[in-house]
Parts: sequence; C-alpha cells; structure tokens
Amino acid sequence: MLNTSYVGRTLPATEPHVVTAEEIGGFAAALGTKSDGAVAPATFLVSHTLPASNRLVDDPDFGLDFTRVLHREQRFAHVRPVRPGDAISCLVHVESIKTVAGNDVLTTRTEVTVEGEPVSTVWTTLFVRGDA
Amino acid sequence: MTSLAVGDEVLDAVFTVTRADLVAYADASGDQNPIHQDDAAAVAAGLPGVIAHGMYTMGLAARAVSEWAGGDVVTDYTVRFAKPVVVPAEGGAEVRVTGAVRKLLDGGLVEINLTVTSGGEKVLAPARATVRLG
Repeated sequence: MLNTSYVGRTLPATEPHVVTAEEIGGFAAALGTKSDGAVAPATFLVSHTLPASNRLVDDPDFGLDFTRVLHREQRFAHVRPVRPGDAISCLVHVESIKTVAGNDVLTTRTEVTVEGEPVSTVWTTLFVRGDA
Repeated sequence: MTSLAVGDEVLDAVFTVTRADLVAYADASGDQNPIHQDDAAAVAAGLPGVIAHGMYTMGLAARAVSEWAGGDVVTDYTVRFAKPVVVPAEGGAEVRVTGAVRKLLDGGLVEINLTVTSGGEKVLAPARATVRLG
C-alpha cells in the first residue's frame, strides 16, 4: 500500500536539462514520426517526467512497487512545444492516492518549466495492484 | 481546415508494432520495464505476454494526429489505457488509429476524438487530442 501521507507533497525540482535536436529526433524516430528535431512530439516529455517521478519508486517510505504498476491514464497540457535548447526542469506533485478494493490509484502532476516559465503540465495515473 | 465540422472523420492510420520497436522505444524513452521486452517478466506480472508501453501506443496515436495535422501541434492530449497491446514475438501487433472532430474551439483549436484499437479491442479509451490548425 502507498503511504497516503505523501498526498500534497512536492519533490524537489529536477536540475535543468538542456534538450537537444538529437534527443528529440531519437524519440520521434522510435515512434516512426518524421521529425527534423525542431519541435518535440506530443509525448516527448514523458522521457523526463518518468525519471523525475521514479524518485518516488526509489523512496522506500512511499511503498511504490513498480512490479505491481499498470499505467492507467496520461495527459499532457502544453503551453508551447519543447524545442532544442530548452533547459527543462520537472516539479513533481503527488496529487492524489485513491484506494479501491485494496488497490491504489496514484496520480502525479508534473509542472515542466524552462527558466521558470511554464511549458507543460503532465498528469500520470498509475494503478498499483494490492496484495490481495 | 476551416471547413471542418463536428463528427468529420479526419484520420485513419494502421501501424504494425514489433518487439524491436518496443526495444527502440525503451531506449529512447528510458522506460526499461521488462514487461515490454521479456515474456517471462510479462507473465509474472499477470499479462499474457510482452505488451507495448502504453506511452508507445499513445505516441503512435499522436504520430497519426501530427501526420494529419502537418506537424507537432498538439496542445492537449489525454488518454486512458483501457487494454494492453499484446505484441507477439512473430509478426507483431497491429494498431489502428482513427479520429473524428469532437469540438471546434476558439483560436483555431480542434478537439479530436481518437479511436485506437488492436485485435478489434479499444486499447486507448477515451483518447482525445486538441490540435492547433493553420
């Protein structure tokens, strides 16, 4: 079971990461998307929000066992597309934990910023299978 | 694009997903969960076999949208992962993405309702993307 006292917590912002055209191009290529690397695909930021959120997996007090996790919902709300040269930082909030029939449903909200300016908000909802 | 009306079917794309695609996506995205590469790990997690990353399928559907819209112009994109896409070792799996206009919004924005199926079942449902056209 997840530690529900984490609801409302915010993890420390990640160190800024400068996005490159090669990185965008590699992500696009893995999806077969034509890209000149100038603008990131709609789901590109998951490659940064996932590692940012994985700090919760690495925290034994939170109790998130990744072998029990299924990805249930995902949303991206983009203020503007990510471009090469953007120094992105991720601020992960534990938005909610709902317990249903012994299983946990965890939603995180990650604010992605460049030099303090909002670029995207990314919501991830995980279904965490209980012991039953 | 101003001639679009609610209900218009605007896109229909079919993709074949192979295990090699999942390995490439794992490397590009950093999601190395073994249920997307290894049958034994998938079965241990209660799955019938290797499944695609939900984010891979979501990314493919975004690709279909961007190919229709003529660029990466998605402003809002939300999906629920309804069923896993099981990817056999031989031949892979087929994913079909269709889209219809759900709403015409201010500022040249159009909300598309996506239907994403594999093996005749909806795998992303609901799935909606808002795109900026023109």
